[in-house]
Amino acid sequence: MAVTAGPAERAAEAPPKTRPPGSRRKPLRHRLRRDWPLVVLTVPAMVQLAVFFYTPSAYSVIAFMDYSPYRPLWENPIIGFTHFQILFEDPYFVDALFNTLQFAFAQLIFVFPISIGLALLMQSIVSTKLRSVFQSIVYLPYFFSWVLVVTVFNQVLGQDGLFSRWLLGMGGERLDIMRDPDTFMFLAWMQWTWKDAGWGMIIFLAALASINPALYEAAAVDGANRWRRLWHITLPGIRPVIVLLLILQLGGILSVGFEQYQLQREMVGWGTSEVLDTFVYYRTILASNGESLGTAAGLFKGIIGLLLILAANHIAHRFGEQGIYQKS
Amino acid sequence: MATPSGRSPVRRRSLFKAAGLGTAGAAGLPLMSACGEVSGGDGNVQEVDQTLDILPEYKEWPLPIEPDLVGEPPNHPSGYLQYPNPPAQAITNTPSNSGSYQVYVPNWGPTPEKDDPYFLAMQEATGGTKIEFVQSDGEAFNQASGQWIQAQEFGDAIFMFGWMANSQANFNETVVNRFADISGLVSGDISERWPLLAGRGDAAWADSVWSTDPENPQETAGIYGVPWELSGGPGNGFFYRADLMREANLEPPTTVEELLEIARTWSDHQAGRWAIGGTDYMSRAWFRLEQSGWLWDGSGLVNNNERPEFKEWVTFQRTLTDEQLRHPNVGTPDFDGKTLQRTGEILFDQDGWNRWWQITEMVRASGEDPDFELHPVGALTYEDREPMYHAASGVGAWLFFRKDLGEDAIAELLDVSNYVAAPYGTKEFETVFFGFEGEQFEYDADGRPAFTEAGVTSFQDSLTYTAMGGRTQYLLEGPPDIMQARFEFDEQILPYLDSNPFQGLRLTSPEAGTNAGTVFDEKVNDIIYGRAELSELDSAIETWKADGGDEAREFYEKAYKQLHGE
Repeated sequence: MAVTAGPAERAAEAPPKTRPPGSRRKPLRHRLRRDWPLVVLTVPAMVQLAVFFYTPSAYSVIAFMDYSPYRPLWENPIIGFTHFQILFEDPYFVDALFNTLQFAFAQLIFVFPISIGLALLMQSIVSTKLRSVFQSIVYLPYFFSWVLVVTVFNQVLGQDGLFSRWLLGMGGERLDIMRDPDTFMFLAWMQWTWKDAGWGMIIFLAALASINPALYEAAAVDGANRWRRLWHITLPGIRPVIVLLLILQLGGILSVGFEQYQLQREMVGWGTSEVLDTFVYYRTILASNGESLGTAAGLFKGIIGLLLILAANHIAHRFGEQGIYQKS
Repeated sequence: MATPSGRSPVRRRSLFKAAGLGTAGAAGLPLMSACGEVSGGDGNVQEVDQTLDILPEYKEWPLPIEPDLVGEPPNHPSGYLQYPNPPAQAITNTPSNSGSYQVYVPNWGPTPEKDDPYFLAMQEATGGTKIEFVQSDGEAFNQASGQWIQAQEFGDAIFMFGWMANSQANFNETVVNRFADISGLVSGDISERWPLLAGRGDAAWADSVWSTDPENPQETAGIYGVPWELSGGPGNGFFYRADLMREANLEPPTTVEELLEIARTWSDHQAGRWAIGGTDYMSRAWFRLEQSGWLWDGSGLVNNNERPEFKEWVTFQRTLTDEQLRHPNVGTPDFDGKTLQRTGEILFDQDGWNRWWQITEMVRASGEDPDFELHPVGALTYEDREPMYHAASGVGAWLFFRKDLGEDAIAELLDVSNYVAAPYGTKEFETVFFGFEGEQFEYDADGRPAFTEAGVTSFQDSLTYTAMGGRTQYLLEGPPDIMQARFEFDEQILPYLDSNPFQGLRLTSPEAGTNAGTVFDEKVNDIIYGRAELSELDSAIETWKADGGDEAREFYEKAYKQLHGE
């Protein structure tokens, strides 16, 4: 069975690297005259980015300053990497970094595949009605705030929750999962899955819809069973989307969220739930470490994210995938 | 799909190139500069000097009606057994104002609507000044207020409790940079325009002074806020349900050991009954731990954390967890001690003094439990040591004005503060604390204001006009039986009240000390709530000392020696 072209065929189909005669780049003013409506359409987005993203990002420079909000920005003395030094010497930063990585990899390993699994499951449901009910149930929690998610979990798994009451009724003990630091990872995993897996599923469903049904028919005619079709058609078909989402997740690996951990911090303790975002909030904004240290931590996160995106994208290219962008 | 490369998917050179570019891009020019020192964070000492020239000239504002119970204010406040009805009119010349202002306040009670009729009535009563109170949950306010102040986004004025100010870094620097110096308005004789503010007294105003230059505190001193209540007497109470104790044939505890026995008898984890609610700030005194955190041992300062009594306190707290004697929600935002005590799910809980009379009045008004009875526990002792009770002292909060607000606007708001300074027994006090007759309250059979449903749901316990300043004198509040009981309790507890070893100074701890303290407290919480072992306490103490505890000791010791001439 040959459902995809081999490297040799694809190499033969690849466009020539030299430009065809007459395709020389036109001068800027010509291109502007031709494309100005498109440029105008991008203006609002550019302004929004400039005002709400690039301008605040420029203030990252305070990570290298002895910053005080009571003097103009330019009067703050530059002190180099002192705040980074303080940050890396802080054992609580190291703990927060470790927790963050732990949660990030757990999300990557245990939640990401669930979205793929849900999408495949959904695709296998023949009844349209059943499919739309299932879809709604699964992705509705994505629109709930973390406050609501934690409250719902507390109502179900808390000391006075449904399960506790049921267990007490059966003569058992109260359930203590909401306050047990040893099982917090499992609790967090349940919360991520309930809240986010359904949303991830939507994206994979869209990718599944783009696979040519003729391929499945041809494979079925060739005698491929359900697993063979999954392995040789479905998974290769959604591979670019898997890689794209994986790269994006890697880029935000140090941004595992804030509310979920902040809301449960007092229940399981800071040692278990402190991640980089809560570290910045509690140790720099609320504590007396100041804005510079928080900015240094934020910048560190950004740089790691950027490097991971570059690396993952590069690896994706090497494996023949598009990644999130390509050099023109 | 892109063409796969025959080369290795991961090329070290490319990765290093990307890493180098990323780092250089982010770091930019500062990469070239050497590491420098971070300034500030050394701590600050502000003397509370009652002889400063800038203070308003004190003109006594005598109480219009003599109290029935005469104590020794501030540690033993007086009170009225009978509500002074009709109350006296404190302000005879109502000002004529028309300004409109926004005041940020924390709030733990109901949030009245912006157009609540109460605000309109108060606008008229105070002389026409319209104030919109921007209310936020107290905890959220505490966490966000620092950023609001630094960004100068707190309306025209902001109300800050002392404990909120203490939790903010370099608050002394914040005060002089972000708030208006009102010395020019309130210095000297202000009794003509603001007779009640003139009657607040030197102690309250001196506690509202900050200096722009710590090296020259006298010359650069200014009054930066309107002082709230000047506190005294027992700071808070540890309340118990006397009716439930009687029902269970239990006597009120006098020692920590008795408290534990009662808790063991009454608690039933499986049945959802836990004797103990919040204890963290009340229980320290039972083990003779200092409220300020520092004890002078004759040669130097010793912190609570280092004393053997602290380990005893942590062990006691851990016992409450291990033996399931404390409500499991304690220590989390889900804990609502007021409701749990009202419904009888917990026996004991700590709170401010308002808990006693407010919850009693609410239960009496609703008729839900005719036997309901709440009382405070006295000064508990541990292992037969001398009893100790933590006292409240100094100004509890301030109202700060925006730095660029302008003198006329501040003066107009001070008119309102003057109105609010009227003590118990005046018409002005009645409108501020009870509202207006027929709307928020009705007089009961004894002639005392009793909240109507509208008063309870949209007004009672809500911090609005009460935030505009303190009163000339703090007097006991509540129904006569509770007033009498509180008066007697205060009298009985008076000999055990602790004294502040830094009385006369307002201290801001060095940053390193504050940060080390926060980290230490979190570790202690882990031990208390069973997330870490008691054996980890000693290493946590060593870490605290090394990370800033010793630096804080040096700072406090220097201040103590200067104050006491050691």
